[in-house]
Amino acid sequence: MEKNERLELLKKILLTDEKEVTQSLASEIERLKAILDAPQELAQKIDPLIEQKINNFTKDKLSPLVVTSLKAEIKNSQEAVVEALFPIIGKMIKKYIASEINLLNERINAQIAKAFSFKNFFKSAFRKKEVTNEIIVNAIKPELLEILVIEKESGILIAKHSKEDQNFIDEDMIAGMLTAIKCFVEDAFKTDAQNLETINYELYTLHIQNFYNYYITAVVTGPYNATTKDLLETKILDFAQNGVSKDDINNSEIFTQRLKAYFTNEII
Amino acid sequence: MKLSKKITLIGPFGVGKTSLFRRYIDDEFSEDYKSTLGVQIQKKVIQLDNGVELSLILWDTEGHMEISEGRSAYLMGSHCFIYVFDLTRLDTYKNINPQLEFLSKNFPNIPVKVVGNKLDSVFKTKAIESLKEQNVNFDFLTSAKTGLDVETLFNEIAVQLTN
Repeated sequence: MEKNERLELLKKILLTDEKEVTQSLASEIERLKAILDAPQELAQKIDPLIEQKINNFTKDKLSPLVVTSLKAEIKNSQEAVVEALFPIIGKMIKKYIASEINLLNERINAQIAKAFSFKNFFKSAFRKKEVTNEIIVNAIKPELLEILVIEKESGILIAKHSKEDQNFIDEDMIAGMLTAIKCFVEDAFKTDAQNLETINYELYTLHIQNFYNYYITAVVTGPYNATTKDLLETKILDFAQNGVSKDDINNSEIFTQRLKAYFTNEII
Repeated sequence: MKLSKKITLIGPFGVGKTSLFRRYIDDEFSEDYKSTLGVQIQKKVIQLDNGVELSLILWDTEGHMEISEGRSAYLMGSHCFIYVFDLTRLDTYKNINPQLEFLSKNFPNIPVKVVGNKLDSVFKTKAIESLKEQNVNFDFLTSAKTGLDVETLFNEIAVQLTN
């Protein structure tokens, strides 16, 4: 064997394993390079890992931090939160009212159906009476909740009558504040000949009727329209004329008795 | 027997009308000064020795140096006035007599209690000297901060109104 041949043989014996390793590494590098060069393949490998990391971070660190920050922010800026929520609440109320109107509509329809039954048809024919008004009046009724008689200048409560289940705050305070509001409005607008007649508060209407020494306030819920106002005015005027005497004003107990006798727990 | 009486607190701003009002109604005092706008109303029911259950309806009005500057409607129908001035501020009582004359002229027969408040901030003898110099006749010297004579003031009014 020649020297060269022997050298070649020695190289072959010594480097065969190393060459295989080198080739294997080279092919692995090629494969990895192919993955790195192809974003889709890379994404397939990395995305689940990133997702897992993000999920863990959100769950363990971010969520509690956001909740705490939100709580603190809501606590510190209640007015801003209320302001932001108001339109949403407004929409909810609107939806609620719409649903209530639908219910009312259904009630009216039911009443109409009942009214125009054969039985009622003959009944109304005999009575010769328009039944539609009756139906509507029955469906929507204003309700008189409380009636207060208040001394005009001092704002002191002379008499009161309310439904048993009605639970307003101290009527003496209401009488005082109403008088202060009346005084303010009438004074501010310099309207000597005019008086404050109504105050509206959400579902309540305060009907105010003035007399010489006192004024009467009727707290009404439900629709307060011209008819209701007219009915109330007539009833209160009638009470002032026929229900009480001039001397009763000086006796709170008698005035209250008269008021109770006249305005029983009725629906106007 | 049950009775209700309207008592109106009047006087310049910052003299402690609201503090007297709060001291009497809730037995509270605050150093924070918040000017009263318009009027605030509170009630206190007291049982008197003569058997009367008296509801005192207190009207705490906004302050004015001259009574005529305020809304006269708030004063109407009062059964008693409490005119409050500040013992630490001469300008709140040096012009008091014309104010009291205004009351007696426009609201005859209605009792008026003249009250110097913030006694806790002055020496009593010095304050009385100053009041004499200014020809001021007072009924009570009170401190809404310590509560001194506040209850006495209202109790005296209650008895006077029911006799």
